[in-house]
Amino acid sequence: MSSTGVPDSVSSAIRSPLLALLPAGQAQRPSLVETLLRQQQDLTSLTAADRFSHAHDQLEAATVPAQAKYYRDLIPLERPKPGQQYAFEVDLDACTGCKACVAACHSLNGLEEAEVWRTVGLLHGGTPEAPTQQTVTTSCHHCVDPACMRGCPVQAYEKDAVTGIVKHLDDQCIGCQYCVLMCPYDVPKYSKAKGIVRKCDMCSDRLAQDEAPACVQGCPNQAIRIAVIDQSQAIEASQAGMFLPGAPAPDHTLPTTMYKSARPVPHNMLPADFYSTSPEHGHPPLVLMLVLTQVAVGAMATGWFARHVLGGDAPAGAAALPGTGLGHAVFTLVMALSALAAATFHLGRPLFAWRALLGLRTSWMSREILAFGLFAKVGVLYALSLAADSLPQFPGKAMLVALGPVWEAGAAAIGIGGVLCSAMIYVATRRAHWSAAPSIFKFFGTTVMCGAAAVAWLAVLGPADGGAGRTSLRGLLVVVLIAAVSKLGFEVAVLRHLRERQHTVWKRVALLMVRDLHNLTLARFLLGILGGVLLPAALLASLGPGVTIAGGTIVAVTAMFLFLVAGELLERHLFFKAAPASRMPGGLS
Amino acid sequence: MAGATLLRRAGQLLRQKDGPLTRDLLRHPGRFGLGQVPVRLSPDQTTTMVCGFCSTGCGLQVHLRDGQAVNLSPTTEYPVNLGMACPKGWEALAPLRAPDRATVPLLRNARGRMEPSTWEAAMALMVTRFKAIADKHGPASLAFLSTGQIVTEEMAFLGALAKFGMGMVHGDGNTRQCMATSVVAYKQAFGFDAPPYTYADFEESDVLVFIGANPCIAHPILWERVCRNRHKPAIVVVDPRKTETAMAATHHYALRPKSDLALLYGLAKVLLDEGWIDTDYIAAHTTGFDAFAAHVAAFDLPRVAADTGLPAERIRELAALIHGGKRVSFWWTMGVNQSHEGVRVAQAIIDLALCTGNMGRPGTGANSITGQCNAMGSRLFSNTTNLLGGHDFANAEHRAKVAGVLGIDEARIPTQASLAYDQILEQILKGKIRGLWIVATNPAHSWINQKFAHDVLSRLDFLVVQDMYTTTETAAMAHLMLPAAGWGEKDGTFINSERRIGRVKKVARAPGQALADFHIFRLVAEAWGVGDMFRDWSSPEAVFQICKRLSRGQPCDITGITDYEMLDREGGVQWPLPEPAAGTAPAPPPERQRRLFEDGRFFHPDGRARFIVDDPRPPLELPSKDYPLVLLSGRGSSSQWHTETRTRKSAVLRRLSPSEIYVEVSPPDARALGLLPSEWVTVVSRRASIKARAFITNTVQPGQVFIPMHFATMNHLTFPAFDPHSRQPSYKHCAVRIERAVV
Repeated sequence: MSSTGVPDSVSSAIRSPLLALLPAGQAQRPSLVETLLRQQQDLTSLTAADRFSHAHDQLEAATVPAQAKYYRDLIPLERPKPGQQYAFEVDLDACTGCKACVAACHSLNGLEEAEVWRTVGLLHGGTPEAPTQQTVTTSCHHCVDPACMRGCPVQAYEKDAVTGIVKHLDDQCIGCQYCVLMCPYDVPKYSKAKGIVRKCDMCSDRLAQDEAPACVQGCPNQAIRIAVIDQSQAIEASQAGMFLPGAPAPDHTLPTTMYKSARPVPHNMLPADFYSTSPEHGHPPLVLMLVLTQVAVGAMATGWFARHVLGGDAPAGAAALPGTGLGHAVFTLVMALSALAAATFHLGRPLFAWRALLGLRTSWMSREILAFGLFAKVGVLYALSLAADSLPQFPGKAMLVALGPVWEAGAAAIGIGGVLCSAMIYVATRRAHWSAAPSIFKFFGTTVMCGAAAVAWLAVLGPADGGAGRTSLRGLLVVVLIAAVSKLGFEVAVLRHLRERQHTVWKRVALLMVRDLHNLTLARFLLGILGGVLLPAALLASLGPGVTIAGGTIVAVTAMFLFLVAGELLERHLFFKAAPASRMPGGLS
Repeated sequence: MAGATLLRRAGQLLRQKDGPLTRDLLRHPGRFGLGQVPVRLSPDQTTTMVCGFCSTGCGLQVHLRDGQAVNLSPTTEYPVNLGMACPKGWEALAPLRAPDRATVPLLRNARGRMEPSTWEAAMALMVTRFKAIADKHGPASLAFLSTGQIVTEEMAFLGALAKFGMGMVHGDGNTRQCMATSVVAYKQAFGFDAPPYTYADFEESDVLVFIGANPCIAHPILWERVCRNRHKPAIVVVDPRKTETAMAATHHYALRPKSDLALLYGLAKVLLDEGWIDTDYIAAHTTGFDAFAAHVAAFDLPRVAADTGLPAERIRELAALIHGGKRVSFWWTMGVNQSHEGVRVAQAIIDLALCTGNMGRPGTGANSITGQCNAMGSRLFSNTTNLLGGHDFANAEHRAKVAGVLGIDEARIPTQASLAYDQILEQILKGKIRGLWIVATNPAHSWINQKFAHDVLSRLDFLVVQDMYTTTETAAMAHLMLPAAGWGEKDGTFINSERRIGRVKKVARAPGQALADFHIFRLVAEAWGVGDMFRDWSSPEAVFQICKRLSRGQPCDITGITDYEMLDREGGVQWPLPEPAAGTAPAPPPERQRRLFEDGRFFHPDGRARFIVDDPRPPLELPSKDYPLVLLSGRGSSSQWHTETRTRKSAVLRRLSPSEIYVEVSPPDARALGLLPSEWVTVVSRRASIKARAFITNTVQPGQVFIPMHFATMNHLTFPAFDPHSRQPSYKHCAVRIERAVV
């Protein structure tokens, strides 16, 4: 035995040189293992053999792609005329679920490792006697009225005037992912590595060269073709609600894909993933952004309200009421600027955020960005007007101070507009759980409740002044209490959908809240009840006439404010997470 | 000027239509007939090779840059797939880049952990441990389990090395799990294991009958060929489930599971009674017809209807369809093969084709669709059940011939075939087999009645696992793990379902010190001290030439294939292709689509095919009060392959398949059990209980449930019944119950 524990006979056998493989006269002969390892890594044998093969030369010389003979009939001969566009046409009878289209698209377009621009779902139904299943290949529908394009704040989408293809401009994208929420069909795909969204462009460069898109080329059964359609046809079909069973309603975006089948489709066809709802992305930066802007706007508006409605005869520009002076203005600004900072963490490419006003004409996100940008700027002016005494003299200072109430009212009004834009961002997606009533109610609920709590907190932190402070504090606490009870009641009412027999979007939301996200839901309501109900009620009970605001009250109000904000952060997290995705029929998960 | 440029630049920055992100997806003409390809993955050369997943054997045009694969697309002119591939083919390169590739030999240390080692130490350990076992317990105490996943040249090397070099007596392959039934059925009926068809037959038939086959999912490219049939064929699917293929068919017969033998005999009786048979063909080319006729006489329609659960008129309808077809082809896959009486079912299919004269003509045949990429290579050259080249171990002439071709002592050739897979496991349990060498297969996931199989494998004194990945269930049990190069990292040939021999090529570098199985066998041969016996086995192509010589005079004679270059040139070559007789003119290129038995001569000495019949037997485990449901199993999706050691490594394939185990339950059963859609349930058999998500769907019949085979726990449930003739496990029938999981 050798020192390594290897029997000498064995080890010398595999170390013995393989004479045939070695040039003669080489002094240091490699062992068999070394020889084989070297052979294993050598790729030259193949390249030499193929490089000189006749077939290879022929192929290299070919000008028309070899596959053309299979797809020639699957692409249009002519370009679309005005009022027409290209569209995918899917022969459902030929789609048998092999999913080659997805893989072909991935390989022929060089997508990222896990990126797919096409999916294959499954519908099933019928009866035990006549069972039915139908696989469905789907990608971008190149809609007549693309919601992605409408929502994009930076105009990173364009719908080609001739072909109707909805293209995404990758270098224009800032990675806000709003299009992902806007598209009812879950088409745009976000790449974390690249910080942008990408999507199917119907291989427009291929079509321009009379080549078929990758999916068309890749379908073994020729189930996908490119057709020229009249856009009016797509509009009529969408108005009639005709698209595909189990797919989101087409009237929102007017999709152009045509699903055809000669077979009768049973009315009870359901997507295979119909009953499996999983939590969506939680978007923490957006959660922070939304809640902090609403705290800021709420504080600003409540301050104005407290001063001009509750405060009555207070001299303009002076901090007549506790909690509404310079400290209040600075607090509002800090909240607003933190919110804007948080928002940039949501963007894949924040350096290009300055493009965000391009979409003002169509995008609520552009409008929101504009509104909160203005809110912060006017808020600065308001703060400066309050801090005028400690500022050096500069031209227009008098005007700045004189316009103090305008800055204050203006900031409050712009902020309220901003909160409305925030809500509209989600309303515009046309998802039931983000419809106008819940979105607007939740966002303004947060604004009122946290605004009042913030001012109350600032008030107790300020100099103790006895009567006036107590009176206004009681008012604010009442506002907090009423807002919290209504908002929590509204949120908990979602759970009534659990009893529905139909698996509606709202039932899915409720199921997500009590199943996958039950800890989050529980924490949200605990914090809400603590900060919005128990603490304000206790404070109201303890703040009778003649009671001065003492240390205990300060702690309680501080806790109330922090619990409330934390509760709202969780509520907003749920707003995104317990949000059933809108997409085409999926497969089994 | 400068101002204008600046303005334009500013405008471009405001609305940027080009840039690095846009260019990331840029495509340009790929040359080599490819059409547009991503610029990033642009090839400087291409080469065609056969896919390494299933037996369809698609040609893939690998896009190479500097000799290395950067991408691939299906080969337009390859006679198998005609420019198409399923997702596994498209993604065939992805599993090579997986992070869990084995890169160095791993030895299990004293603490039970696998630790990196060297090839020298690994070989020394393997040889000393195996030799010690053989010295103590005899040569039959060592065995090997091979695979349908490696190239023919490697199979031949492994079989020859293990049996002739190392003295092993027993070895089997995972092909036992997929093809053994067809092998036996063909051997007995035709005189040789010879699937008679060519893929063009899919396009030529006017009636196609699929029995226990779901090609839409399991062999999508074969379904492509069906779609190209221009004869408006009747497409019949015989399957308990409403599969994708059943949906696409014109006729679906949802028979009771494992009642196919009764159905086939019932159909035969209708055909016979109606005189819908080809008496001339029967007289000229078959024997055993009278016994066949007598046997099926007992299968009248009421009985068959009762056995199969199909209405009598539908059985008549199917018989009439078969009669009405001018070119009827019968196709079967695992629904038949993985059965307790699969051989007789396959032979009943052959009987139907024979008695109606649907054999040897375009669009006809009794055709078994194979499973693995090289199951057919294994059937001829694995040296397990058959002696190399489709020979017989028990035949002295055959042994002499093989010994002569290989230049070895005839005494080194065992005089008996290997034990079958299940018998090898039994021998391990009895302590008779103590050392096992597993190559490129994953029995610790795939073998039936898995808990038992696991227990058996854990009893080995020494287990060597040779695989691409360190993470397979079987590799986790190994004492020694040998890192293997995979498909695409080595050379050789596969034989597909239609007997087409195609090339596999080295287009990627294996990671670390992983070696082609071929190289590993060379190392083992040297280490074992039998290197001299394999001096001629210097390269895959040299072994291909040896295989040619072994095939001479056999039904699978391939002496007419000159070399690898010819395989490339001809788009693969189907066996047989004998060498032209000496002195005759050189042969013209072979036809690209060739079927067997066009002259009506079969491989039995009398040239006749055999009718073979047997009495149907009920499955061994029937539903009972405690286990009222029949559990069926099968392929889950086209993007999953077997135990998923490879398909799980592609992010795209992962996205295309379910990530969680699920059980399909019919709505009436779900209602009776009070199941909620998509909830977790417990599936209990007499052997195990597992968790699965309920998928409530009408595609399974009431009383039946279905679980895809790719999930490891599935095989904990299965009942170890075997076909007595083929020893193939019956994966598709056992009794279970479903319980609501306690939340």
